[in-house]
Amino acid sequence: MRVLRELFYLRFHGIAVFRLDFFAPFFVDGSLFLIQLLAFGVVYSNVETIGSWGKGEMILYIGTFSLLNAVNMTIYFFGTNAIPQKIRSGELDLYLSKPVSPLFRLTFENISPGSIPLILMSICIIAFGVSKLERGLTLAGLASYLFWIVLMEILYYEMEILIRSVSLYIVSMARMEQLEEAGIDLCMKLPGIALHGVYKVIFYLILPYGIMATLPVQSMVGEMTLQRAVYGIGVVVLFSAITCAMWTHGLKHYNSASS
Amino acid sequence: MRKEDRNMNNTIINTDNLVKTYRRYKKQEGIRGSIASLLKRTYEEKVAVNHISLSVQAGEFVGLIGPNGAGKTTLIKMLTGIIAPTAGTIDVMGYYPNDLKNEFKKQYAVVMGQKSQLFFELTVNDTLRLFKEIYEISETDFQANKNYFVKLFGVEDLMDVQVRTMSLGERMKMELIVALLHNPRILFLDEPTIGLDAIAAKQIRSFLKEINEEKGTTILLTSHYIEDIKTLCRRTVVINHGTKIYDGATDELFDRYQRNKKIIVTYDSPTDYTVQQTKQVDVVMDEPYKKIYETPKENARHLFSELMAHEPKDIVVEEEEIGIVVERIYQETGIDENGGIA
Repeated sequence: MRVLRELFYLRFHGIAVFRLDFFAPFFVDGSLFLIQLLAFGVVYSNVETIGSWGKGEMILYIGTFSLLNAVNMTIYFFGTNAIPQKIRSGELDLYLSKPVSPLFRLTFENISPGSIPLILMSICIIAFGVSKLERGLTLAGLASYLFWIVLMEILYYEMEILIRSVSLYIVSMARMEQLEEAGIDLCMKLPGIALHGVYKVIFYLILPYGIMATLPVQSMVGEMTLQRAVYGIGVVVLFSAITCAMWTHGLKHYNSASS
Repeated sequence: MRKEDRNMNNTIINTDNLVKTYRRYKKQEGIRGSIASLLKRTYEEKVAVNHISLSVQAGEFVGLIGPNGAGKTTLIKMLTGIIAPTAGTIDVMGYYPNDLKNEFKKQYAVVMGQKSQLFFELTVNDTLRLFKEIYEISETDFQANKNYFVKLFGVEDLMDVQVRTMSLGERMKMELIVALLHNPRILFLDEPTIGLDAIAAKQIRSFLKEINEEKGTTILLTSHYIEDIKTLCRRTVVINHGTKIYDGATDELFDRYQRNKKIIVTYDSPTDYTVQQTKQVDVVMDEPYKKIYETPKENARHLFSELMAHEPKDIVVEEEEIGIVVERIYQETGIDENGGIA
């Protein structure tokens, strides 16, 4: 925790050096968020229901994915996103030679306070969605929702690490990040309950972005079955194991870069 | 060797037949080569470190020299656990480095001349605070160590200055402070004086000497600069093409294999005077304003006196470069370029 606190202080000192770096993300991230909302508005203003979901559930879904994405942007996106470049340049050497998990340091060294307003805006959307729900919000529903949010945030993080771990094995990642972007982009707009057939296999198992906001919403609106819960937890456990193995094994493959 | 035996004779680093090979992709030139490489790849094995056995005692200051691509940095990276060896055994302070155990990493420090661990936008004090937490140093030890090194390096005024505004020499001093903050038992230095001017390099050498003597820190230093090695290391290991070709006393190495000196003389006005080429003197360059001679070091004083008598503008005496020393070791020890016996 003390290392985490120092990483946060250093990051804060770092972005405070240049005032534009400090204030610009509030504007940039806020604008991107509004563009997203506009896109959602256009899509969902003409759609009354998707499966069993009405307007309230859909707004809740949008807010939930925004929240997952906002937490990701605030805490670890900028850190994890730099991993391939640090591997290619050999900068990872400096992380491997320090007595703290390289992944821990990489994850938390680029926290972005500029994205915090996105979390607040997402919470507002969620609150609005909840107010539109036909059935009221129970304490158990809220607790269950928070549990799934935490679990899905872990899954989101693992997917980012997994994709970037490829750099430890091969120099070129062949723009695999774009696959991630496309998956997130699609699943941000389309809830998992709208996916069927091969698309469901892809976005529920192979690139499980489809379950990330769907399961928390289902847990809040009382649609979480035992089968879905086991499946969701199973996917997180599976991806935790794969990510851990891929990263640990990848470090053994790391060849650094010529100096 | 058993662990207890090593402890008894104070061995801190021990490698046996250490090998590191890389696979390199090869492609024929041109568009045909590029297309062919998409269908069938050709790789070649590059042996970066070739059966190196090395033993370092606690408190030693060992120089690791060799030309570019000799395998020095690869060896350092294996000793610090950054990369895994392909074959052979390796033991550093009782650990297999590539296990990347935190207890192991707390006992050494590595400084790479071409990679900085400082945060460029921040001050050194900010970076030190992070390293205090990473190495779990108590506040008392942190303050004591920081004060000791800040005083030793004479950088009191620079601790609250943004790193990006510092000179290369100042930055290297800061790199060393950050590395030494946790009192490592071993300090690995990879080209710490690269790019530094003569004064800064001399200062760094003097600090390293003091740290080795006062704190008893074992230091393994790679450098292209003969001056670094001659000044600091009693023992030198020479590597080329991944093979160890010399391991012994530094004085003996340079006495035996660094035989000539290069004397560069410049003049204010054009001069026809040139020392005659003999067995003892090789005229490398003969121009009206500048002459370069090479002579055995025993004859250097005599030649120097002779040149001084002809009113030169400047005379510079240079040692033979590492590459020449390495080549001579090859020729005289019968080790071929691949590390085998010729």
